Amino acid sequence: MEFDKKSLLKLGKLARISISDDKLNNLSKDLNSILEFVDQLKEIKTDQVDPTSNSLDQKLEVRDDKVDTKNSAEDILENAPEKEMDFFVVPKVIE
Amino acid sequence: MVAQMIEGWNLVIGIEIHAQVNSKSKLFSSSPTDFGSKPNSQVSLIDAAMPGMLPVINKFCIEQAVKSGIGLNAKINKKSIFDRKNYFYQDLPQGYQISQYKDPIVGEGFVEIETENGQKKIGVERLHLEQDAGKSLHDQDPNFTFVDLNRSGIALMEIVSKPDMNSPEEAVEYVRKVRSILRYLGTCDGNMEQGSLRADVNISVNKPGNELGTRCEIKNLNSFKFIHAAIVYEAKRQIKLIEQGECVNQETRLFNTQFGETRSMRSKEDAHDYRYFPDPDLLPLILDDDWIKDLQDSIPELPDQIKERFINEYSLSSYDANIIVSDKATSEYFEDVVKNRNPKLVTTWVTGELFSILNRKNLIIEDSPITSKRLGELVDNIENGKISNRQAKEVLEEMCESGKGALEIIDEKGLSQISDENEIESLVDNVLNSNPENVKKYKNGKDKLFGFFVGEAMKLSKGKANPKIVNDLIKKKLSQ
Repeated sequence: MEFDKKSLLKLGKLARISISDDKLNNLSKDLNSILEFVDQLKEIKTDQVDPTSNSLDQKLEVRDDKVDTKNSAEDILENAPEKEMDFFVVPKVIE
Repeated sequence: MVAQMIEGWNLVIGIEIHAQVNSKSKLFSSSPTDFGSKPNSQVSLIDAAMPGMLPVINKFCIEQAVKSGIGLNAKINKKSIFDRKNYFYQDLPQGYQISQYKDPIVGEGFVEIETENGQKKIGVERLHLEQDAGKSLHDQDPNFTFVDLNRSGIALMEIVSKPDMNSPEEAVEYVRKVRSILRYLGTCDGNMEQGSLRADVNISVNKPGNELGTRCEIKNLNSFKFIHAAIVYEAKRQIKLIEQGECVNQETRLFNTQFGETRSMRSKEDAHDYRYFPDPDLLPLILDDDWIKDLQDSIPELPDQIKERFINEYSLSSYDANIIVSDKATSEYFEDVVKNRNPKLVTTWVTGELFSILNRKNLIIEDSPITSKRLGELVDNIENGKISNRQAKEVLEEMCESGKGALEIIDEKGLSQISDENEIESLVDNVLNSNPENVKKYKNGKDKLFGFFVGEAMKLSKGKANPKIVNDLIKKKLSQ
């Protein structure tokens, strides 16, 4: 899989990370070498194997439906750069 | 009107329902799920996506998804996988929603709906579990958006239909039916005003025989009225575009409830690229047979079964049975009243008189001022002839206002009906003797006067005489 500059810019946009022109070349090269490395996996024959979503041979742990509140609004908002009337405040979002 | 508008066109509609699981705590955290709490007061470090936090799944939510699947006649998948659906938005602290993509917990199923042309099967594609996002308020400040994460991480069941609906009415019936099933199961409270159940509607139009048109998705409809209105508007919009030789763009649209129209939210070019992949924090969910069996055994009687039983047991019409079973509380209320009573009479009093009072007062049946026991007592007094139907209506109103029982009101108002034949006979004799002219006219063929005699006798009894006995006696006497 080749990662061209256009795909890289799109990926940056999706993650809301701006990628400056001077970094584009190097980043693209880096990403491609990572992908090349991972591509080695394709050499293994897997057509007889079920897709693996997790390599641990364990069952999913479950918990009971119990409420356990550890935070107040004050606690959780303490980390907010901007807050008002118990809300997080972010730049205006217009779809 | 709708039929006229779409004449010559096919409508193809598919619906995604988001139903909030009726759990006390969230899907992957122990934060509470109460509606209307102080903003950001129900947010754990997991919900706020603090580094190093790990999700642990709520067993109850898994069970509700399985029960809902069974209620939707669907295949339960013994192995399902949680995936990350990646997108960037301010009300999604994780930067991804934990959802299920290729391997949902519930596979294909169906529900049956009533249509103009009889029963119709609507296919269910899948049901999967996922996290809800937080809530953004855009209208509080011109420059800023306010975010409340209380809803973030609450468990949702997304129920995806097949594109099997062909009219706004069918779409509404489908959502009604799914909501009703979930409410019977107790897996979702179905409260649309509070957003516990909302629908995204996919719609396209095409000429019969032609291939399917391009579809648009209308997001977040939270009432039956809006679902209907949005589909009508959107179908008209698409038909107009095509008739003008233009193309329908595949896009996501929002329904503006104030103006009754849909508006583009984002076009395909900006379409999300969700980059799904299995969530490495969560192992596959495996359901063993015993667990599924236990859940199967816990499924209560569902609306379709109850409807059939009501038709067989109480000889209700399909129409009446439908009205009664469409809501769980109504069918329980009905069943309380109907025990050992005349089903036809009970049906009339529940779906007729009681419903009209509830409608007028804008109440749901759970908050009915008249309990099922009290309504039963009223029906008893109609059945045993103590009061007439008309008097009963008066008593019901009074019961509603005063909170008193039927008997108490009947006694207080002296409403009790006269059913004593001797007493009524003397009333009838009195009427006939004081109107010899009319009796003569009647016997000479003026049939219409019959009503006059009945009216006079009723007036004389101050409306208390049993009308049936009055009728019978007058008929008997005049034919002598």
